[in-house]
Amino acid sequence: MPKIDLTMDVNGRKVAKQTEPHKRLLDFLREDLNLTGTKEGCGAGECGTCSVFVDGKLVKSCLMPAAKADGAKIETIEGLAKPGSLTPLQQAFHKTGASQCGYCIPGMVMAATSALRENPSAGIEEIKERLGGNICRCTGYTKIFEAVEIARDVIAGKLPETALDEDATGDSFIGANVRRLDAPSKVSGRLKYAADIKMVDMLQMQVLRAPMPHARIVSIDTSEAEAMDGVACVITADDVPGTDGFGVFVHDQPVMARGKVRHFGEAVAAVAAEDLVTARRALAKIKVEYEELPGIYAPEDALVDGAPVIHDYAQDNVIKHIPIRKGDIDKGFAEADLILEDVFTTQQVEHAYLEPEAGIAYVDHDDVVTVLSPSQNITHHRHMLADILALPINKVRFIMSAVGGGFGGKEDMIYQGMLALAAMKTHRPVQLTFTREESLVASAKRHPSKVHYKMGMKRSGEITAIEFDMLSDGGAYGMSSEGVMRKAAILSCGPYEVHNLKVDTTVVYTNNTPSGAFRTFGGMQAQFATESMMDMAAEALDMDPFELRRINMMKIGARTHTQQELTTASLDRVLDAAEEASRWETGAPRMRGGQRQDLGGPDTRRPCTLGARIGDAADTETKDERVAS
Amino acid sequence: MLICENYHVPKSLEEALRLWGDAPDGSRLVSGATDILPWAREGRAGDVEVPALIDVTKIPDLKGYTCQTGRIRLGAATVYQDFLTDRTLMTNLPCMPYCAIWFADDQIREQATVVGNLVNASPVADGTPPVVALNGEIELARLSGGSVQRRSVPVVDFIEGPGRTVIQPGEIATAVTVDSAYGYGGSFQKVGQRRSLVISVACCAALVRADSTGAVFEDVRLALGGVGPRPIRIRDAERRLKGERITRDLIKQVAQTAADEVGSRSRKDYRRDVVVNFVRAGLEEALANQPEIGAKFKNFGETENA
Ligand SMILES: Cc1cc2nc3c(=O)[nH]c(=O)nc-3n(C[C@H](O)[C@H](O)[C@H](O)COP(=O)(O)OP(=O)(O)OC[C@H]3O[C@@H](n4cnc5c(N)ncnc54)[C@H](O)[C@@H]3O)c2cc1C
Ligand code: FES
Ligand code: FES
Repeated sequence: MPKIDLTMDVNGRKVAKQTEPHKRLLDFLREDLNLTGTKEGCGAGECGTCSVFVDGKLVKSCLMPAAKADGAKIETIEGLAKPGSLTPLQQAFHKTGASQCGYCIPGMVMAATSALRENPSAGIEEIKERLGGNICRCTGYTKIFEAVEIARDVIAGKLPETALDEDATGDSFIGANVRRLDAPSKVSGRLKYAADIKMVDMLQMQVLRAPMPHARIVSIDTSEAEAMDGVACVITADDVPGTDGFGVFVHDQPVMARGKVRHFGEAVAAVAAEDLVTARRALAKIKVEYEELPGIYAPEDALVDGAPVIHDYAQDNVIKHIPIRKGDIDKGFAEADLILEDVFTTQQVEHAYLEPEAGIAYVDHDDVVTVLSPSQNITHHRHMLADILALPINKVRFIMSAVGGGFGGKEDMIYQGMLALAAMKTHRPVQLTFTREESLVASAKRHPSKVHYKMGMKRSGEITAIEFDMLSDGGAYGMSSEGVMRKAAILSCGPYEVHNLKVDTTVVYTNNTPSGAFRTFGGMQAQFATESMMDMAAEALDMDPFELRRINMMKIGARTHTQQELTTASLDRVLDAAEEASRWETGAPRMRGGQRQDLGGPDTRRPCTLGARIGDAADTETKDERVAS
Repeated sequence: MLICENYHVPKSLEEALRLWGDAPDGSRLVSGATDILPWAREGRAGDVEVPALIDVTKIPDLKGYTCQTGRIRLGAATVYQDFLTDRTLMTNLPCMPYCAIWFADDQIREQATVVGNLVNASPVADGTPPVVALNGEIELARLSGGSVQRRSVPVVDFIEGPGRTVIQPGEIATAVTVDSAYGYGGSFQKVGQRRSLVISVACCAALVRADSTGAVFEDVRLALGGVGPRPIRIRDAERRLKGERITRDLIKQVAQTAADEVGSRSRKDYRRDVVVNFVRAGLEEALANQPEIGAKFKNFGETENA
C-alpha cells in the first residue's frame, strides 16, 4: 500500500510518521501513536467518543482524514493533564460519579473542556448544547452536567478547589457521594478496552455476514481469499472441532452459520489477516451460494400450521412457554363488575452501549486458548467454548476486559468462538472489533412483545382476575429468551395481589435479529401492559390511579403470582413517594394536557431548545459590520 | 471503509484543478469529509476504494469570505460553525446562525462546509433553504487551455435532484455568493428525532424585513427543505406578504398555502402539517428576531400550538 508522510504536534510532542493515505485521524492516533484514549463508538460522527482538538478546535476524529491534520497541533485526552494528575474537569467527573462504563468519558471530557475553553462562563443550556454531539448511554447525563458546572466554577474561582474533593462520608456510605475507584482511569483515557489492546504479531479479523434472513448455504468457496497475500486464515463452521452450539439456555447457535443462515447479518465466514484492509478485501473474495428459504418475520406467523421450521429441534418454532396458574379465573371474572380487555405491544430495542463488541484471542505457551473480551458471562462462555473446541476446561480461559456498556447485550458469545478458532488455526493473536453497524445487526435486541390482557374488577377497584398472554419474538436464536419469559411471567401482573390469574408467556423463533437479555429482562414489556391497564382501569372506574393501586398492592402476607408469601413489602411507600414527587393532582384521570395542574412543574423536562449563544451574540452586536449595499 | 491510493492536499486552485482534471476515474473531491466518510460504510456504499482523494480545504482562494456590494462571497472552505462565531456573517446572513445551531453539532460544524452540503445535494440538507432564501449562487471553476475559468449558477438551479447537480467533470466549487440581508430578521425551523446530530424530516428558512414602524412586510424570503427533490423557494407566499400589513391572520392564511409545496412521497400528510406550521413559526420568529424593529411583533405574536 502507498504511504504518506505526516508531521504533527501531538500533545506537545512532535510526531513524524509514515502511514497509509486512507487513515482517519482516529486511526492514526490509535494505531500509529497508540493513543487509545480516543475511542471509536460509531465511526460515523454520531457519538463523540473520538473527539480531539485540532488546532484548538474540537472535532470528531472519525470524520477527519489523517492527512487533513498534517502540520496541525493535536490534543487528545492523554494530553490534557500531566501524567499522574487530573484537570479540574477530570477531577469533577471523578467527584460526581460522572463516569460509569467510561467508554464515552474521554470524548465527554474533551467536549466539556472545549465548552469551557470556548466560553468559560457558559450557562447550563450552552453547556448542554456544546455537549450535544457526545452520547452517553449509562449516566443519563445529570452527573456529567453537574461535573461541568462544578469545574466551571472552580476554574473561575467562584468555588474553592476543595469543591473537587471527595464528599465526606459519615458512618454510612448510603446517601453519600462515594467515589468510584476506577474513575481516574476512565476520565484520563488510560483504561484499555478490548479494542485498545495490541499484542505482538496480532492479526485482524473481519466477518462475512449473511445478506438475507433465511437461506440454505449451498456452498462456501474460500480459496481465493485464502490465497491472498496477508491472509492468515479463513474460517467457517467446518473448522469447529467439537460440539458446535452456544446460548444462555439452549445451545442452538453455531459459532458461524452451519448449513443455513437464520437471520440477516449472521456470521458465515471470517478472515484473519495482517491488517484490516487486507481482511476487508479478502471478505469480498469469499463466494457463498445461498438458496433462499421462506422466512418468518412476525411471531404470530411462527405458530400457524405449516409455518417454515427454523430449527429442526423445535418443529413448532416455540423456544419456551411459561405458564402460571393461581386461583380460578372463571370464578374471578364471574365476580367482576367490569372486565377490560386490550392488547399492548412493545418494539425491538437496541442496547446501543457505546463500546462496540471487540475481543482478542490467542493460544498461550501452555496451549491454553485464551479469549479476552467484554463478555458479561465469562464463566458460562468458558464452559461452552470448551465443548465447542473439544478441549478440557483447563485449556480454555476467558478474560473479561473492561465493559464499555453491556445492559445485557454482551451476554451472548456471538464472536468469541470465531476468535478462538482463528487463534488456534494460526497460533497468533487475533483481534476483532465490530463496527457500529455490525453491532447493530449481529447483537441481541430487547424482545418485541404483544400482550393480550384481560382484567376483571369490582366497582371498589379490587382486581378479581387477570388473564395475561404474551407472545414474544425471540428472533433466530434462543439466547436468553427462556429467562426473559420467566421473568416476564413472574412479574406479569405487577406488584398487585391477584387471587385468580392465568399467565402465559411464549417466545418463538423467527428470522428476525435474535432477542436476548436487556435491562429488566422481560419486566419492562410486562409492566408496560400492566401499568397501562391500571391507568385505563382507573379511568373506567372513575377512580384516582394511585388509589386503585393502593387497593390492589401487595402487602406483607400477600401471595405473589408464583405463590410466594411476602414477609416485606414497600409498594405503599413507593406510591407515596411517587405521588408526592409528581405533585399528582388527586382524582380520576379525566383530563389530559394543559388543563392539568401537575404538568410543567419545576422538575419536568422542557422541550428542546437551541441557540442560547445566538441571543447573547445579538445583544452585543455592532452596526459597523454591515456590508455596503 | 473509504480506501484511497492517494490523498492530495493541493495548495493552489490551479494545482487542484490540474489534479482533479487528471485524476483517474472514481477519484473524489473532499472538503470537510463529513458526508463522504460516513457514506463509505456498511448499509450505504460499503467499502469504497478510490484512486485519489483531493482535499480542497487548504487552498488559500477557497478560505474566508469577502464582502462585495450587497453580496457576500463565502469561500468554499467556509464551515457552518463560522455562522456562529463570525459577527459579520451572523448579522449579514441572519438566517444562517439559526440554521447552523441546528446543524449536526459543534464539532462537525467545524468541518462541514456549506459547499459540501450543496454539492452533496441531499433533499434534506439544512443548508439549502437558507442559501436559497439568500439568493445564493454557487461558483464553479475549471481549467480551460491552462487558465482558470469560472461560472456561477443559482443554487435553485444547481441542485437537480437527490445527489444530482449541474457540476461538470473537472469543475471545483470555489464559493457560494449570497445576499447580505443586514437588518432582516432570520429564522430556521427544523424537525427531526432529536436535537443534535439529526437529519431534518423537513426544514424551513425565513428572512423578513418590516418597515421602520414594524407594521408592514417590506421584504420576505421563504424556502423549504426536505419536502421535495429540489430546493423550494415559495415565491407565491412571499408575493402575498410583501407590502401588506403584518397580521397573524395573514401569516396564517399564507402559511396554509405552503402545504401544496410538499412533493415528497413519504409521510406526506405529516410533512404538509409541518410545513404550514413552519412557515407560520418561521415568519413570526424572523419578525421577532429582526434587530430593533422585531420586538414589536411580540405584542401580537403569541404563537399557538408552539
Ligand atoms: C453526524 C452527522 C450529522 C450531520 N448533520 C447534518 C445536519 O444536521 N444537516 C445537514 O444538512 N447535514 C448534516 N450532515 C451531513 C454533512 O455534514 C453536511 O452535508 C456537510 O455540509 C457536508 O460538507 P463537507 O465539507 O463535510 O462535505 P464532504 O464530505 O467533504 O463532501 C461532500 C460532497 O461534496 C463534494 N465536494 C466537496 N467539496 C467540493 C468542492 N469544493 N467542489 C465540488 N465538490 C465538492 C465531495 O466530493 C462530496 O461528494 C451530518 C453529517 C454527520 C456525519
Ligand atoms: S463520532 Fe467518531 S466514533 Fe462516533
Ligand atoms: S459512561 Fe457514558 S456510555 Fe458508559
